[in-house]
Amino acid sequence: MGKLPSTVFRRPSLAGCLPTTSPSLTHPPSATAVPLPQNAATAAHQVRHATFVLRHRRPYQFTQLVQLSDGSTFTVRTTSPLALYKSAKDSRNHILWQPTEKSLRNVEVDEAGKLAAFRERFGTVWDLENPAAGPKQEVATAATAAAEASKEGEKAVRVEKAGGQKKGDAKVEVKDAAAAQEPTQVTAAQEDPFDSLVDLISSYATEDKNIKGGLSAKDQARKDKSGKKK
Amino acid sequence: MANLRGLSRPARNLPVSQLARQTYTAIPVRCASSQAAEAAAPVLNDLEDSTLTAPQLSEEEKKQFRPWKRAKDRKFALPSGRYQYHPPKYNRGPLHPVQSPPSSDPIARDFVPGPFNLPRLKQTYHSTIASDLMTLAYTHVPPGTPKKEAADRLRGWDGSSPYHKNRALRGPRGNPVLPLVERDITFNNIPELKEITIASYVPDAIKDPNHLLVARSVLLALTGTTPEITKTKTNVVQWGIKIGDRAGVKTTVYGNAAYEFLDRCVHLVFPRIKDWMGISATTGDSSGNLSFGLTPEEVRLFPEVEANAWLYPAKMLPGCRVFIKTSATSDRQARLLLQAFGVPFYGEVRN
Repeated sequence: MGKLPSTVFRRPSLAGCLPTTSPSLTHPPSATAVPLPQNAATAAHQVRHATFVLRHRRPYQFTQLVQLSDGSTFTVRTTSPLALYKSAKDSRNHILWQPTEKSLRNVEVDEAGKLAAFRERFGTVWDLENPAAGPKQEVATAATAAAEASKEGEKAVRVEKAGGQKKGDAKVEVKDAAAAQEPTQVTAAQEDPFDSLVDLISSYATEDKNIKGGLSAKDQARKDKSGKKK
Repeated sequence: MANLRGLSRPARNLPVSQLARQTYTAIPVRCASSQAAEAAAPVLNDLEDSTLTAPQLSEEEKKQFRPWKRAKDRKFALPSGRYQYHPPKYNRGPLHPVQSPPSSDPIARDFVPGPFNLPRLKQTYHSTIASDLMTLAYTHVPPGTPKKEAADRLRGWDGSSPYHKNRALRGPRGNPVLPLVERDITFNNIPELKEITIASYVPDAIKDPNHLLVARSVLLALTGTTPEITKTKTNVVQWGIKIGDRAGVKTTVYGNAAYEFLDRCVHLVFPRIKDWMGISATTGDSSGNLSFGLTPEEVRLFPEVEANAWLYPAKMLPGCRVFIKTSATSDRQARLLLQAFGVPFYGEVRN
């Protein structure tokens, strides 16, 4: 009758680590704290004609019901003994995973208008992230470029963006593409017509630089309104 | 046959054929359904036979039935009621008379029960993600298009010397390691999650081995597998480490466990990290394996650790590094897969 495997770890001791010179020690000192003493002993005396059949040592795993913050539930196998795990913050109510959810946006509470007054006086350079100036201009240039450039041009620009260039570079590229004439675009398109779209797709999710928000409530409302009109 | 049940007990003991003949003669009207039942009778005989219909034992037969006599006359002993089969502890090769049962047998020493559930993420992968990836990455090649010749990756010899003949090709310049060639995503090559390795380096364990105990317990709780202890590979005098110091733990989970671990990371742990932007997009070993790190504070957010957080000494709680291995052959394909799983990336992408 062999011992049943158990996952309870023994407290390690320094004695095992220290080099010993006693000849009575049959197995190497490091084997004392190896998770399987039985296995370690056999591993030390491994012979050609017999292989030790390992009993897996694994902890008991419970079936746990996980309830996400939107109420959806699913079961998982886990070492946690809780039968039900209710999460307060998870991917269902996080702006990073739910970028279109307005209630999750980081809205500045500026009822007294102090922040607005500060910005009016000193500009937005003091903001940690500078969403007001950057994105709008870029959107505008991108829109004009898109209006001018043909389909192939757009595609080329996107692929170049996917190549990992900075915002500013991308902007320059947009302008260049808009200025460039048809023949160059056609050659660019012909160069890799069957090129894999993986680059394009994989860069899609990382495009959104400004997920964290940072617009004031008023700006946000104005933006939403203008978006609706279009 | 059903009307047999209504007959009296002695009548039941009569041979069935007699009864059937009687009923057949009693009903002169042609009845298709009952005739069909008659036709099916030989087929159903096996089902209808029971001990109730069998003739009762006669007194002589009852006297002949003596099990105790049989047990007494037996020359050998049967195994006792407490007999249990134990599979052999050692495999001694395929020609040995004593063989281990297969690991799928519940009595085998290496038996692992399960699977007990279908992980949510795995289900999503097979129902949605796999087909989506294949469709998104589809590139149409008109039939008849000549195949592109793959460039030679190994450098040849120019033949300026007679000794160049039959000489082995050289590797690429600058880097002796040949990078993987990216395979296109097709119906039979869709990247999938293979395994996740979690490693924790605990240099404090050299002074105080209790750190190892805590680190192993944490990794055990996270993965449900027994972690193994790793040893330091280099000597650094300034850090006080030398080769062979036991200063780390690691473990690997495969299959369902890997899916569940990733699911827990993405949906329960990552959202709870303060000011977390995502995984750095520059991660990867350029052959489809991505990794990220977790600080001790972030490890504490796992539901398993959180459930009994008081068990772990706060200062000993280790951080860990997580290596996600996929079957993708390039980082961008692996990133594509993880993005489909819901892992956010931030920053520049490298390759």
